[in-house]
Amino acid sequence: MFGSLKEKLKNWIKKSSEKNTLEKTPKKEIIKKEKSKKTPKKSSKKIKKEEKKIKEEILEDEIIENTQTIEEKSKEKKSFFGVFKRFLTEEKFEELFKGLELILLQNNVAYEAVQAVRDELSNNLIGKNIKEIDLAEELKKGIGSILINPPNFIDEIKGSLEVKSPFVILVCGINGSGKTTTIAKLANYLQKNSLSVCLAAADTFRAASIEQIEVHATNLKIPLIKKDYGSDPASVGFEGITYAKKNSIDVVLIDTAGRMQNSASLMREIEKIVKVTKPDMKIYLGESITGNDAIEQAKTFNDSINLTGIILSKADVDEKGGTAISVALVTKKPILFLGTGQNYEDLEIFDKDKLIEKLGL
Amino acid sequence: MVLEKLGEAINAGIKKITNAIFLDKKLIDGIVRDIQRSLIEADVNIELVFALSERIKKVAYDESIKGIDKKEQLVKLIHDEILSLLGKKKELKLHKKTSIMFLGLYGSGKTTTIAKLALHYSKRGRKVALLGLDTDRPAAMDQLEQMAAKAKVQAFIDKVEKDPLKIIKKYESALKKYDLVLIDTAGRDGLNKELIKQIKKLDKELKPDYRILIMPADIGQVAKTQSEEFQKALSIDGVIITRMDGTSKGGGALTACAETKAPVFFIGTGEQLHEIETFEPVAFINRLLGMGDLQSLLEKVKSASSESETKRMEDRLKEGKFTLLDLYSQLEQMNKMGSIDKLVGMIPGMSEAKVPKDLLDKQESKMKHWKSAISSMTEKEIENPQILEKETSRIKRIAKGSNTTTTEIRELLKQYKLLKEMMGLDGIQEGKIDQKTIQKMAKKFKGKIKF
Repeated sequence: MFGSLKEKLKNWIKKSSEKNTLEKTPKKEIIKKEKSKKTPKKSSKKIKKEEKKIKEEILEDEIIENTQTIEEKSKEKKSFFGVFKRFLTEEKFEELFKGLELILLQNNVAYEAVQAVRDELSNNLIGKNIKEIDLAEELKKGIGSILINPPNFIDEIKGSLEVKSPFVILVCGINGSGKTTTIAKLANYLQKNSLSVCLAAADTFRAASIEQIEVHATNLKIPLIKKDYGSDPASVGFEGITYAKKNSIDVVLIDTAGRMQNSASLMREIEKIVKVTKPDMKIYLGESITGNDAIEQAKTFNDSINLTGIILSKADVDEKGGTAISVALVTKKPILFLGTGQNYEDLEIFDKDKLIEKLGL
Repeated sequence: MVLEKLGEAINAGIKKITNAIFLDKKLIDGIVRDIQRSLIEADVNIELVFALSERIKKVAYDESIKGIDKKEQLVKLIHDEILSLLGKKKELKLHKKTSIMFLGLYGSGKTTTIAKLALHYSKRGRKVALLGLDTDRPAAMDQLEQMAAKAKVQAFIDKVEKDPLKIIKKYESALKKYDLVLIDTAGRDGLNKELIKQIKKLDKELKPDYRILIMPADIGQVAKTQSEEFQKALSIDGVIITRMDGTSKGGGALTACAETKAPVFFIGTGEQLHEIETFEPVAFINRLLGMGDLQSLLEKVKSASSESETKRMEDRLKEGKFTLLDLYSQLEQMNKMGSIDKLVGMIPGMSEAKVPKDLLDKQESKMKHWKSAISSMTEKEIENPQILEKETSRIKRIAKGSNTTTTEIRELLKQYKLLKEMMGLDGIQEGKIDQKTIQKMAKKFKGKIKF
């Protein structure tokens, strides 16, 4: 994951900083030349004439050097106006950002998220001295400001257990995102950290969903609370909690049916489940392969039940990884884990710094 | 299907083209940018989007095509480009005995889709059987069994056996009695070599008549690689796109299919078994754009074209009726042209460097204020702005009512007078504003226009 994004970003930074250095050198020359000419009065007309001369000289130089492309030359001309202001202008920024925008979009970052990165960067950079700008650092900050590091999952649960037991985790998301598989992984992870777990099969809609979670419960040797298909999912969750209280189990994981975020009745249903079970943690399960719709999906779930955090599944499928940025931006909630495979151990704690490091920044 | 947003953006672009008096670079760039954005938001592959915008720009910038012709060509181009993004329609032709293998990413909806198709075809008189080969995911067999029961078709499954090849052998003879065999396989990542090897093995054993890839509508930029990989490994005959009932626009999945030349046979539009539709690109784009066929689209261009608007303006001028509202629409039109930039650039002594960058923004916010000021005026005042100058208490009233200042209203009146004078120039009355006219305007009003 993030392999290709990393490479492209690296290339971009390299290119941009090359451009910058290329532009810096002729500028210095210009300043020197200006000094040597010693203009007595800086009347604007004279300066303009000089500018022309210098411009011609530069062009000659460039032809001799023969290293720059025509495109860059025209850029030089433009940036020449900036002899007096060596600051990053809006135009210059747009120019620089265009490349980055394309890379981010190609890597599945939603359009909205790309615009956010852009605003962040432009706020920080426009008007600054070009020399002082560390592109890599700024980009890192821009992406870093969107991503949120998750709190320690286990500590959080253990802390809460001192006050109240059991700790209730609700997992929701759209159809086929991998809720049941992820719940099994979470149960495994919690057990490994010496927390007792039980599962509530509140997906009473999809064919064989109960059988599916049952297989996981048997494999992991954890109790499963289930009812018939078509029964009220909120009541299944509630019974799970009652069972946990009776048997002093630490954590209840509630599996819910997949729902499309634009189905009003199903969103009301999840609100009801939340109202009845009062989960301590509401996790939205998204797919890392989802495109721009990820924003809409995560946002709707967050608006209706105020999520605690996000898990992104299928991170092993997606070599692009932009979805993490999109989802984090729109919900302002931490990404807790990444699902990285079909085995119970394939659950990776999300680490923002690690991700940024992976991006090569 | 929620496609309004994409449709809206494209429609807005077409409308802008239709209503514009001049198709200048700035306007075209703006339209192209809007369409670009909406396509990107619909997950259409980035390279495709940029290639498409280049083609639109090429026609739009072509100086040899003029007026209505250009508008028509542009609208047709946009329509055709988007249609070609969606790919061609192809029907899934069933032989007397057909077997279809389904494959795709995890959780894309293979099993559900198979059950939907089973119902679809058994209703149409086929004897359908399902074969379950997903031995990986827990309870996948149960799911197929339950779905088959719902669709009232036979399912051949084995809940214990872990080797799909053995399951194939086991049911080989039994399946021969059926017209249509739908084969469910485990979810897999197209980039995972191990899993691709496995499906190739199954393919060799089964020799299905069709191999159909299942793709969710909300898939992003990965759509292309995934469809390419599956195509490379197995030569996919077609695609079914699921979850089309969400808010995603299916752009990623749809265009990926068009690019890999795999036709989209069906789209899944809900959780219920009957919620599957055949995919019709032309109907799809019509739904997207909210109008009939291309012909009616082009007619709309002609009728709603700006010619009538220009004509109306001309007539009004001849009648000597030029009201504040006309001023406003003119200003809006000019803003679109980017004429402030042009005018400024042509006024000698006013080099680009001296124009503040936020000028256009300022102008826009000024326009907003003017608009509300105009809304606060009586009809009489709008028709005869002169009375405002005579009765200044009116200005105060308007300022109060529209939350603007009297200075702003006076400025509006000044602009009105200026533009009314400008309208007296020859070229404009004929409805033509070209570079020369603008230059003339610039000369005449040198120093008078203040921003």
